[in-house]
Amino acid sequence: MPVVDLADVQGLILRGYTMPTARYLGLTVREPQAARAFLGALTTSYPATLSITTAQPWAAKPQCCVNLGITFSGLAALGVPPVSLDSFPAEYAQGAAQRAARVGDAGTSSPQMWLPWLADPALHLLVMLFAQSSDALDVATKQLEQAWSAGCVERGRHDGTWLPGTVTHFGYRDGLSQPVIADVPLSGLPDHLPRAPVGAFLLGYPSQHVGFSYPVPAPPELGINGSFAAFRVLEQDVDAFAEFVDQQASVNGMSKELIEAKLCGRWPNGTPLVLSPDSDMPNPPIPADALNDFDYEDDEQGHRCPVGSHIRRMYPRGQRVAGNGSHLHRIVRRGITYGPPYDPAHPRDGQDRGLLGLFIGVSLRDQFEFLMAEWANDGIFTAGLGRTKDPVIGAQAGGAGSFSIPGPEAPVILPGLPRFVTTRGGAYCFLPSITAIRYLAGLVAEIVDSGATEQSVHSSQRNTGVPARH
Amino acid sequence: MTEQPPPVQNPLTVVMKAKSPEDYAVLQKTVEDLQSLPPDQNPVTVALNKIATVHFARFAFLDNDQLAVITSYDGDFEVYINEFINEIGDVFNMLMAHVEGGPPLPVQTYRQEFLDYIRAHDCRCVGTFYSAYPDRTVLDILNSANASR
Repeated sequence: MPVVDLADVQGLILRGYTMPTARYLGLTVREPQAARAFLGALTTSYPATLSITTAQPWAAKPQCCVNLGITFSGLAALGVPPVSLDSFPAEYAQGAAQRAARVGDAGTSSPQMWLPWLADPALHLLVMLFAQSSDALDVATKQLEQAWSAGCVERGRHDGTWLPGTVTHFGYRDGLSQPVIADVPLSGLPDHLPRAPVGAFLLGYPSQHVGFSYPVPAPPELGINGSFAAFRVLEQDVDAFAEFVDQQASVNGMSKELIEAKLCGRWPNGTPLVLSPDSDMPNPPIPADALNDFDYEDDEQGHRCPVGSHIRRMYPRGQRVAGNGSHLHRIVRRGITYGPPYDPAHPRDGQDRGLLGLFIGVSLRDQFEFLMAEWANDGIFTAGLGRTKDPVIGAQAGGAGSFSIPGPEAPVILPGLPRFVTTRGGAYCFLPSITAIRYLAGLVAEIVDSGATEQSVHSSQRNTGVPARH
Repeated sequence: MTEQPPPVQNPLTVVMKAKSPEDYAVLQKTVEDLQSLPPDQNPVTVALNKIATVHFARFAFLDNDQLAVITSYDGDFEVYINEFINEIGDVFNMLMAHVEGGPPLPVQTYRQEFLDYIRAHDCRCVGTFYSAYPDRTVLDILNSANASR
């Protein structure tokens, strides 16, 4: 049984903070030495607000949590030597913009259309703040700005705030489906499904695959206990969603809530369709901690929960899938909404609203990208879906999508499904351990102290100054 | 006339040369022993039933020195490489110990090398890959069979 040093792991990998506000800040490294000093400050215990939040259980919930993601160009800008850079996975090295086509970020979601700070190859660091109040968020931001100002410049930021009831703008209660990870404290809802090994989310442990651990980037102090995250700014077109639901409810003589539930796989209040296909208020009620404890084994044809619905695609549980790997692509999701609440009485208000999401796993390729490419944006992974896409997050081309609601007789087909979620930007980040952040902070000193050759010192110095734009 | 999308199925024709006549004899015996097992004890059959992306698969010996693995399967081999190795890796560990230029073993540990070897030894398809049912996966076909029963 692997023993994980929780104090060495960035907290957001293994637990949700359940804080109502968040701020993501994108930085460019200008002065590597000063930027490394900033990283060093993030791992000291004083002042406490500046420290990276770890996975160690806390006695009292803090006002604010801080985490750090580093892009591949960020590692280079900090002075990580080429031999080490080469040991990172190819998809991370290529980055979110280059991998956009794989995950369906085309057309209006293509990198050419992204927010400038997320399309910028000089996005090096992603500072992630989560706070109990907007005041606490601002206080922490000011402290951090002071700490990084000598080494980094801000490229852009994006704030998120919970909507009442922790729903997304589409009205669904969010954050219910998370993997239960073996050998670490439970975070989120319990279930009776197979436990995900900790090696599916942290480098350096046996993974979800037989006899295999994902290669740890070198040196080990940089790689072990690290993870990867896809950060995404996902705009939600609530007008289009509401219109589609209204229209389909009217055409098919179904309630709007039922159409919404069939698209998602859960009623808007979070009740899973497979447990309660006819009502979001079943009697007896489903206990709050049982809302993620279900399987599809008794609903093979999807008469209760459509096989193509959002949550069933994102985690098919015990359903038969191509490759027999339903449990091998689990992902940790940390999401928070941004933008003002949608008011159905005042549609088309022109406001930008959506979700800031972090999708975390030991392999961007085998978890986040696999989910998007195979399960969200294609249907041949399981029986009967053809080449259809996820009805909620799928990259439907020009309103050409369709969704099938299976039933005992002929299925009800909802045609003309448009794209409801547009990617406004993304970043592939490494989430280094505390040891790794200290390693990065001491990088050049270490090279010099260990008597490295003149050439290797030069090669690290080559990265000083303004990073090259590509 | 609109262009037809490519079939959901793809071909794989991996030809592996034995290291020596002795290794070829071992390969022959290994494959014959495997294929003489009852289906529920044959690890190839058990694994392929679980993977459920392979329509047809067979072993064939060529020219008294090569073993061919010939299949038609759904989707992208690379995408399902982990699942494939998880389920059937041990069979390839047995076979690949006896082939020329084989990847490092066990394949469970050296996944990328296994994939690279398969790619390098896949004879590929000349021109169009014909399919009588280009949009039907193994799971679609099995599901229809169950539903009509």
